[in-house]
Amino acid sequence: MTGLQGCASLQAHQTRALLAQPPADIPAQVALSATPFFPQSELQCGPAALATVMSAAGVPTTPDALTSSVFVPGRGGSLQIEMLAAPRSHGLVSTRIQPDMQALLHEVAAGHPVVVLLNLGLSLYPVWHYAVVIGYDLPAGDVLMRSGTTELQRLPLTTLEHTWVRSGQWAFVVLPPDQLPVSANEADVTDGRVTFERLAKPAQAAQAYRAALQRWPDSLVLGLGLGNALFASGDVRGAAEVLVRVARQHDSAAAWNNLAMARLKLGEHEAALQAAQAALKRAQASEPRWVSAAQATLDEVRQTLSGK
Amino acid sequence: MKLNRKAIALTVAIALSHTAGLQAAQAAMIATDAVAVTAADAQMAARRAQVLETLNRADVAQALIEKGVDMDAARARVASLSDAEVTQLADQLDKAPAGASDILGVIVFIFVLLLITDILGFTKVFPFTRSLR
Repeated sequence: MTGLQGCASLQAHQTRALLAQPPADIPAQVALSATPFFPQSELQCGPAALATVMSAAGVPTTPDALTSSVFVPGRGGSLQIEMLAAPRSHGLVSTRIQPDMQALLHEVAAGHPVVVLLNLGLSLYPVWHYAVVIGYDLPAGDVLMRSGTTELQRLPLTTLEHTWVRSGQWAFVVLPPDQLPVSANEADVTDGRVTFERLAKPAQAAQAYRAALQRWPDSLVLGLGLGNALFASGDVRGAAEVLVRVARQHDSAAAWNNLAMARLKLGEHEAALQAAQAALKRAQASEPRWVSAAQATLDEVRQTLSGK
Repeated sequence: MKLNRKAIALTVAIALSHTAGLQAAQAAMIATDAVAVTAADAQMAARRAQVLETLNRADVAQALIEKGVDMDAARARVASLSDAEVTQLADQLDKAPAGASDILGVIVFIFVLLLITDILGFTKVFPFTRSLR
């Protein structure tokens, strides 16, 4: 598959298509000049790029502060997975965007600087580099970046495409929980939210899920996530309201189970029993993974009821 | 002697199977990421099936056979792809312009390239996990 990418990059297909038919729904020129600048020190393009987008998203930070969490001295660089993870413990959501030039430009046009992973060397001898795209100029055929020690680097879009394609066009944005990228698909947004929930304060996780649900109201995972986050934040009534909608919409064993737990906490024992029974019924019918969990919940509800 | 051993083995087996039930005694909230994994796995399985379906299309298979491709080898190769590789292959197939006059040619090219690069050893889809800056 690297071979296929190599062929594509020689011709910069995506850029040629873009310049031949500029998208009608974005401006011809964008420059997010308010994006902070952190000149990188040697080998620390990862922390510098992160500090840039995190500060732009409202959490001021510096490359030095981030170095310990994302710089891996042994490997001489920052692992992608750690680049994505770092913002989460600062209350920001990192989300992969779609791997193509259109997606990148639309994201920047929406006011979101994008971290891109570039290979400045050859396919066989890669020189990896993280930079932040902060604008573009379609008439000139250029992209604008914060990169290395250059505050405003102008690069031909074709060059960006060549160097970006060699990383599989890997890129991500960092945003506050209540905002969504414009160029990310449901799977990537969901993944971003779910991983955020693990590290974030529950109230922020709830915010993140709520925002995503506005775009994808039929998502089981997003709905369950919101219910769980509300529960964890102490809003048990809110959690129950969300979970009952999700459970009914999807007949999800996990949603029924968690609804039962929420109702139990609210003291609504009869309603909890109904939910627990629905959870077990659904699990036994088609979600065997949750049978033992549903059974345990049902047992607890029954115990509570008989203890009255 | 043999009977006693059997009886003991049976008793132990029953006892162990009972303790397995005791492990799941705690009622708890089911975590979002546990459900997400299941959903992601289902999605991944669907994408894999999608790729195999395309490979097994009569016209695609015919074209590959004409090029001398061993269909069993091709299927085995697709089945052995990692999740990331399946996603990339599926994306390439999706991106193939649907209205193009030679859509079949594009699809066949994608599969042939996959097999050739395999033979030449350039199959690592994401090499950047090795050396990062």
